[in-house]
Amino acid sequence: MLRYALKRLVLALLVALSVSVATFALLSFATDPARAIAGEDADPLVIEQIRERYGLDRPLPVQYGAWIGGLVRGDLGESYHWKRPVSELIATHAPVTIKLALMSIFVTIVIALPLGIIAALRPNTLIDRAALSTAVAAQAIPSFWLGLIFIILFAVKLRLFPVSGDGTTWHFVLPCIVLGASSVPAVMRLTRTGLLEVLGSDYIRTARSKGFRGLRLLLRHALRNAMLPVVSVLAIQLGHKLGGSVIVESVFAINGLGRLALQSILGGDIPTLQMLVFVFALTFVLLTLLSDLLNGWLDPRLRLG
Amino acid sequence: MNWTSMILKGIVAALFAILGPIGAAHANKADDTLVVALQRGILSVDYHYTTKREYIILSELTDDGLFYIHPDTLKPVPLAAKSFNWVDDVTLDVDIRPGIKFHDGSALTADDVVYTYKWTLNPKSQTNRGKQYAEWLQGIEKKGPMSVRFKLKYTYPLALTTLGRGIPLRKKGAFDADVAAGRIPNGQTLNGIGPYRLVKLDPGKSTIVERFEGYYKDSPKGRPAIKRIEMREIPDWGTQQAELISGGVQWMYDVPTDVATNMGESGQATYLNGPDMRIGFLILDAAGYTEKGGPLTKLQVRRAINHAINRESIVKNIVKGGAQVVHTACHPNQFGCVQNVMKYPYDPAKAKALLAEAGYPDGFPLEIWVYREKEAAEAILADLNKAGIKAKMRFVQLTSLDKARKEHQIAAYFGTWGSGGLADVEGMSNHFLPTTDRNMSGDTRVAEYMIGGQKFRDEAKRLELYTKGVQLIAEQAYWVPLYAFTVNYLTSKDLDFPVPKDGLPLLFQAKWK
Repeated sequence: MLRYALKRLVLALLVALSVSVATFALLSFATDPARAIAGEDADPLVIEQIRERYGLDRPLPVQYGAWIGGLVRGDLGESYHWKRPVSELIATHAPVTIKLALMSIFVTIVIALPLGIIAALRPNTLIDRAALSTAVAAQAIPSFWLGLIFIILFAVKLRLFPVSGDGTTWHFVLPCIVLGASSVPAVMRLTRTGLLEVLGSDYIRTARSKGFRGLRLLLRHALRNAMLPVVSVLAIQLGHKLGGSVIVESVFAINGLGRLALQSILGGDIPTLQMLVFVFALTFVLLTLLSDLLNGWLDPRLRLG
Repeated sequence: MNWTSMILKGIVAALFAILGPIGAAHANKADDTLVVALQRGILSVDYHYTTKREYIILSELTDDGLFYIHPDTLKPVPLAAKSFNWVDDVTLDVDIRPGIKFHDGSALTADDVVYTYKWTLNPKSQTNRGKQYAEWLQGIEKKGPMSVRFKLKYTYPLALTTLGRGIPLRKKGAFDADVAAGRIPNGQTLNGIGPYRLVKLDPGKSTIVERFEGYYKDSPKGRPAIKRIEMREIPDWGTQQAELISGGVQWMYDVPTDVATNMGESGQATYLNGPDMRIGFLILDAAGYTEKGGPLTKLQVRRAINHAINRESIVKNIVKGGAQVVHTACHPNQFGCVQNVMKYPYDPAKAKALLAEAGYPDGFPLEIWVYREKEAAEAILADLNKAGIKAKMRFVQLTSLDKARKEHQIAAYFGTWGSGGLADVEGMSNHFLPTTDRNMSGDTRVAEYMIGGQKFRDEAKRLELYTKGVQLIAEQAYWVPLYAFTVNYLTSKDLDFPVPKDGLPLLFQAKWK
């Protein structure tokens, strides 16, 4: 298992590096960071000044080499926009996104698992259809729209929550519901399908014949096996939330990594974006690894394999 | 008490215990705090190292320069300067106003002014506008404890205006720590002399400034009425509206016209709009860089394009708000932007006739590069196609457009320019330099007149040259001037905000009703 984990770690680093090369190339060809920093109407002399300041007048391989060299030495570089070390930026923004991601994945689990279980226990009934319809509807609603509707309803009309910002935990309630809702359909459907399959299997029939019934049968025998694909999907969803909550963070003016990424893209802030992409890629691969390990824990057959 | 009520109360109490109080009440008129929403937040507070509009808004609060562009006349008036005297065309003496204090309580002296300008001009300081100033400013020297002398490289008529914008004064030695550490200043703290002092900078989230009680009483900016201003970054327009309705913010800036009009009509906010120095235009490759002897090198074709576009309809139906049609390669509010030029009323029949006269009765293909204003550009394409020109749009990022134009790959492009709010044709000069790729006229007279006007302090002489230049561009149809933009503001009902004439909001003028 240790060898497997190490192999995956090396793979994760390689993936992150490849992504960083692609990001650097794409950004460098698609945008002029000096122009983005200076603004639309900037005097050419101002743009030239900025280009010199950040060494953007050097050949691209030299610029990339400097970045990767810094990374090896533990220097993540300095943001063109924030004029602060990238490491500091990531350290200040990451807790916000982690909090949002964990709260929203909690929302997903709390909604999706019971719905999926109920739908599986009562297949093809009104409850099942209602649960599936909810899932389809939730999948079809764009996050920015749901976010604005929640703001209008719960913050402006009912005044139950703040409209935007991330000052208190209350500020996270609406965004984490919006973000969590987007993952409900996938998790719910997978729970339902997995559980239906398990409930029809031979060992469950055997368990029933031994007298296991109700919650005991569900929790001790069925759910554990049905959860295998769900765990993988939850890990991927968590990865999405850690790296891809750009829209929700923008709508609710939350100062997390997603918004930092958006600001970096719009502003041509290559050092920040390079590092963010590196971190996001690593996070994804590590979460996939974690889900594999969890699956191994849940299913001893996988460990042996 | 019934069980349901008890359970609900229990849940709420538990939530409060876990999450804490919902949050402080909104800052507003009651606590004399104006909260403004910005799409892009403040990351750094030193205007020597920033450029964009939101930073100018902040700098107008926290900083003063030697001169100030008066909001009524849009002309420079002494601010931290008490008086000035042109010794000759390239020597300017400035006396500093006594009694001005920095936010740390220390007095402003000639040493501080000299330090600030020397720092700006020093290439090692890497200030954003250093190179720009070094183009015309030779140097500065101390004349006395409260007076300085500027030496110019050549006659520069906008010296006072330029000194009024872009160089906020700093305390002598303000950047010494950065020099010692070998780094470029990151503008996380500020010791200025403006009417507001920085209280808190939470980069990308919120910036709070508070009225500086030591601000000099005879400042032309006056004493601010509102005690505290918070600038919050809220990127989404919908969220900004929700905050405005719920009382979380009281001022929104540069709001899209449809959002602004809807909110204004709903009665939930006050909708204001005012002029912006930004104009939109097409520039045509009259020089034939893309195609030697091509259609655009022919005057009739360029005039046909001008006649083919229904600017009035575009302004009325697409741009809306306070936008207005322009006929010149400059903003009508700018000095030198005379309006007695050749005009091209919408006349598709005439456009067709001119095309036939030029030898293109069936039109010709034309690719127009566009980086913003897509809707207006689509209307332009439709108009051109109606006149027989097979126009199509190439929508790209500004950087790509810049690059392609530099390589002379662009036959026509939709440009916009804000002149940095400068009420002078000089603000448009980037488009007329003989060396710039933006000047696609191939006509040396354009630079001769439009840049020539920068070399005299005599306003009559400048006006004479600018008149020739502006009229030449219109007569030769080198440009297709389209419209002047408008800036939309939304404010809470209890805020009195004077709309600026140049699109640069001066929040220190705001007051509660």
